[in-house]
Amino acid sequence: MEDYTKYRLKGKDELVSLLEGRDHLFIISCNKCFKEFKTAEEPERGELEALAAENGKTVTGSAGVDFLCNKTQTEKKLQDMIPEGTENILVAACGLGIQTVADLAGLPVYAAGDSLNYRGFHGMALTERKCDACAQCYLNITGGICPIVDCSKSLVNGQCGGARDGKCEVDSSKDCAWEKIYRRLEKQGRLEEFLSQPVQLRDYSKVNFKFVNDYVKSIRENRLEGYYGGVHPSERKERTEHLALQRFPEPAEVVIPLSMHAGAPANPTVQVGDTVKVGQKIGEAAAFISSNIHSSVSGTVTAIENRKHATRGECLSVVIRSDGKNTLDESVKPRGDLDSLTPEEIVEIVQEAGIVGMGGAGFPTSVKLKPAKPVDTILLNGCECEPLLTADHRVLLEFADDVIFGLQAIIKAVNAEKGVIVIEDNKPDAIALMREKTAGYSNMEVVEAKTKYPQGAEKMLIRRVTGRKVPSGGLPADVGCIVSNISTTKAIADAIRKGMPLVERVVTVTGERLKHPGNFLVKIGTNTRELIDYCGGVSGEGEVLFKAGGPMMGFDLSDLNVPIMKGSNGIIAIDTDHTAEQPCIKCGRCADVCPMELSPLYFAKFADEQNWQGMKEKNVMDCIECRCCEYICSSKIPLVAKIKAGKTAVRGMK
Amino acid sequence: MKITELFERGEFVVSAEVGPPKGFHVEHMLVDAKKYLSGVTAVNVTDNQSSVMRLGSLAVSKALLDQGMTPIYQLTCRDRNRIALQSDLLSAAMFGIENLLLLTGDHTKLGDHPQAKPVFDLDSVSLIHAVKQLESGRDLGGNELVGEPPKFAKGAVVSPCSDSVDAQLAKMERKVRAGAEYFQTQAVFEPEKFIKFMEKAKQFGKPVQVGIIIPKSAGMAKFMNNNVAGIHVPDEMIEELKKDKEKTKAGITGVEIAARIIKECRPYCQGVHIMALGWEDKVPELLKQAGI
Amino acid sequence: MLITELKSRETIVSLTEGKKVFIINCRGCAEVHFPEKEAEEFEKDLAAKGMVTGSITTDYICNPDNMKLRLEKHKGEIEEADAVLVLSCGVGVQTIAGYLEEKPVYAACDTYPLPGFQGVTPLEYQCGQCGECYLNLTGGICPITACSKSLVNGQCGGAKNGKCEVDGDMECGWERIYRRLAQIGRLDVLKCPTQVRNFATDDEVSK
Repeated sequence: MEDYTKYRLKGKDELVSLLEGRDHLFIISCNKCFKEFKTAEEPERGELEALAAENGKTVTGSAGVDFLCNKTQTEKKLQDMIPEGTENILVAACGLGIQTVADLAGLPVYAAGDSLNYRGFHGMALTERKCDACAQCYLNITGGICPIVDCSKSLVNGQCGGARDGKCEVDSSKDCAWEKIYRRLEKQGRLEEFLSQPVQLRDYSKVNFKFVNDYVKSIRENRLEGYYGGVHPSERKERTEHLALQRFPEPAEVVIPLSMHAGAPANPTVQVGDTVKVGQKIGEAAAFISSNIHSSVSGTVTAIENRKHATRGECLSVVIRSDGKNTLDESVKPRGDLDSLTPEEIVEIVQEAGIVGMGGAGFPTSVKLKPAKPVDTILLNGCECEPLLTADHRVLLEFADDVIFGLQAIIKAVNAEKGVIVIEDNKPDAIALMREKTAGYSNMEVVEAKTKYPQGAEKMLIRRVTGRKVPSGGLPADVGCIVSNISTTKAIADAIRKGMPLVERVVTVTGERLKHPGNFLVKIGTNTRELIDYCGGVSGEGEVLFKAGGPMMGFDLSDLNVPIMKGSNGIIAIDTDHTAEQPCIKCGRCADVCPMELSPLYFAKFADEQNWQGMKEKNVMDCIECRCCEYICSSKIPLVAKIKAGKTAVRGMK
Repeated sequence: MKITELFERGEFVVSAEVGPPKGFHVEHMLVDAKKYLSGVTAVNVTDNQSSVMRLGSLAVSKALLDQGMTPIYQLTCRDRNRIALQSDLLSAAMFGIENLLLLTGDHTKLGDHPQAKPVFDLDSVSLIHAVKQLESGRDLGGNELVGEPPKFAKGAVVSPCSDSVDAQLAKMERKVRAGAEYFQTQAVFEPEKFIKFMEKAKQFGKPVQVGIIIPKSAGMAKFMNNNVAGIHVPDEMIEELKKDKEKTKAGITGVEIAARIIKECRPYCQGVHIMALGWEDKVPELLKQAGI
Repeated sequence: MLITELKSRETIVSLTEGKKVFIINCRGCAEVHFPEKEAEEFEKDLAAKGMVTGSITTDYICNPDNMKLRLEKHKGEIEEADAVLVLSCGVGVQTIAGYLEEKPVYAACDTYPLPGFQGVTPLEYQCGQCGECYLNLTGGICPITACSKSLVNGQCGGAKNGKCEVDGDMECGWERIYRRLAQIGRLDVLKCPTQVRNFATDDEVSK
């Protein structure tokens, strides 16, 4: 791995003359980037402190900072970093870091470092290959060897006469680029093509700084829009977003796990051989954090045994052979209108219906509806920021009235002031429809949010819409909010209006490798393989990766023989990426995208060193496992797995 | 007089080079040039050779012209961008300078101002292209020139004994395609390599002047072997220079060697270019011994 | 992490005409400008003519180790192709060209510089990596990048109403510097000795 550290300290003489007449120094050094991540702390800070001491200076303090040029984070860190009495700030960093501090500090800032001047830009894998970003790529006429970076004179029409023994006249450790180019072209039989090229003239006006600056401005705005960080993965929703919901064909058999929620698995309330009906309770919540389970078909219980489960390996499940009649259980009947129901009754209906967060986490909704603190705002999460998935989108379009009813129920249950339906701007039809439908309600509004992942994460959503920040380790209710998923809200409406417990859900079955994608209304317990088969199976060549959920937060499915559960918003079939974990190159992008403003690179390093205390100090427990860091990581480090290990260890420390 | 006309007439064209001084007093140089280079057809004027800052090649070319000599104005891409290069070419035309030798130029790092910004906006090929463009009445920006466009004899260089001779030939071909009309070569000490090179270079149909340096000492030969691209002085030649130190010091051995090389190469090329490197006074004797 | 733009259609067509190609798309540093739609359209057109032997859309193709793993899965398709067309920044193209030495590898994109060093937050600041930081003389505003002419001894005469003569949207860097110095009471640094830049690069001959 090449070391592309961006700065070095200025020479001692220059530093000494710089310090002349300046005292009460605070020293900031950047912990560097683009080098192998071996040590967190770099030596420059110590060297500067020693130099200051030698010259009889008072040092008011010092700090080593990661990615000093990350303005948002540096601004936050600077707030209580610089003690009273500091007159001058000495910064050891590249030009970017120094300019950042100079802009923020309000005190004279001095550069203690020089940026190293490399030619060209390296990639995200610290190899020797570099690109000068000349805006007029010459690689097509040079066999893929860059004449701008690799030739000391950046010649574009062929070799100069200066090469000796194949080495450059300027630097004899460097191969003559044009000789390499010649050999490469000769090997590919492309010499004539090269010779007949017109004379190449560089166009220095090609680099259009306006275009570049506007672009940078726009990505910075995107990055900081609503909340810090986040990513913009390719959405790929066009495959299913316009496909109306279809009822998935009646399964012959369903396997209903007794654990499809956070907390304790439910206790089975039926026995093998029992006849059950649609909506009949077959599992009883086993604790405060647990949930009831209901049958999604009418038929006969054929087994209660451990079956394969998408996220837990195996789980005790009720297997029911359907009689195909879909006979409703007697308990399934309307519960009255909202006006006649008390908040307590609403919560009880939700609890009885086995409703849990259907975005994937599976937290029992009834528990959420009994917050410990007063709540003023209900946020309906219609972001569906996961790429590919369109289940919530379709629910919004096809069950708009149910969603609004469900939201009113939640508002009433917790005595909130208002409900806000948040929809990302990539679903303009849903935004328009919901605006129209909520027009008559004074306590509801629709907010259009610019697309960004993980907008649907509770903390991000609250930040974006209300500007409130959930404290570290806190819950939405701490800032007066409850966030509810679209499908969950619709399920609440079903439970009240029809008395139907949570026995089916909308699932998007999609992915570039799936033949006929679609959005389906699927009974809980339906086999995943049936869904894939119904959609025509996979297309294309090469290995396929199946996931339960979206490409970001979804779980890899090594076995399709698992049931659809309450949280199954999607089943996707996508291309497998063949990569291996590479060493961290300190590119800083994980810190750049982490919406919780953490530094995931340390989690990887500390997990490998089993430094759980270090992980705790870097606030690993605040991680929401949104996978932005893993998504952006060029070294393909399985950060979330390492973070999970860290969280487990930190929990064990208590 | 354009030296291309001489080539066309089938003459064996002899040129030599002078390096402008680091200062603006050219009297001494002009006296020497007149005295020793009267036997050569044209005189190259180097352009801040080896990236060492000197008096400008355009001014010295003009001074030679005023003395009745035929200058070959050398122009490199190291120090000027395309605007300055074209402007200087027009200046040359105004002075009546007709012969050009167009080069990329050594890198700034190799000279006496290693901190300087290397320009290389154009390179040798695109510089030839630029000259051709001016000759067509337009500049590189496509803008029309006022009045009759200039006409030059466009020379270029090639390094026949380079260890990457194939890449050199490819570059030569690109220069020809861009409009180069004649070539001067890097110094040759191995005639057999040169002859082999010429067998291949023949196809381009452009006259080539073999480059000659009079070796001053064994030390100089070794220095060139170690430091100058495309030059290799064979061991037996170094031995020859070592044998009689006095004779070598007086330049007799060097002139003998150089004359021998010229004779061997002459049947295969269209001229000779002598880089005397301060030994201009030996040029008449060299030409005599070489039979020119 | 650089900005890429698709070369003109004619240019790409001239490269691929009559050739069977394998296409590699780098969605790169994932957040960076990539002409996604144009690229897809182009691939569709080529595929319709039966000229595409295969394609992959992936990220960070500049990582040779991972690219090797990925390309091995497409060996047959690559062998079948006359050329490989790479849609990425220059580093990516070179990486692929280095791996597939025997196969013509073509760049379908031009690459533009991105302020802020690759990977680290795209910034409003730029650093010209000049190797001799001038920020001490300019109140922390970089004269190399904030001034169109990279002047290091003060303002030229071209600024009009505080805007740069080269780009009317850009504030004159030296006016900004002057204001900043006045603000922090450091106008005395303008009396520093004449600055002469050193263009010797670190990775060639060091100073």
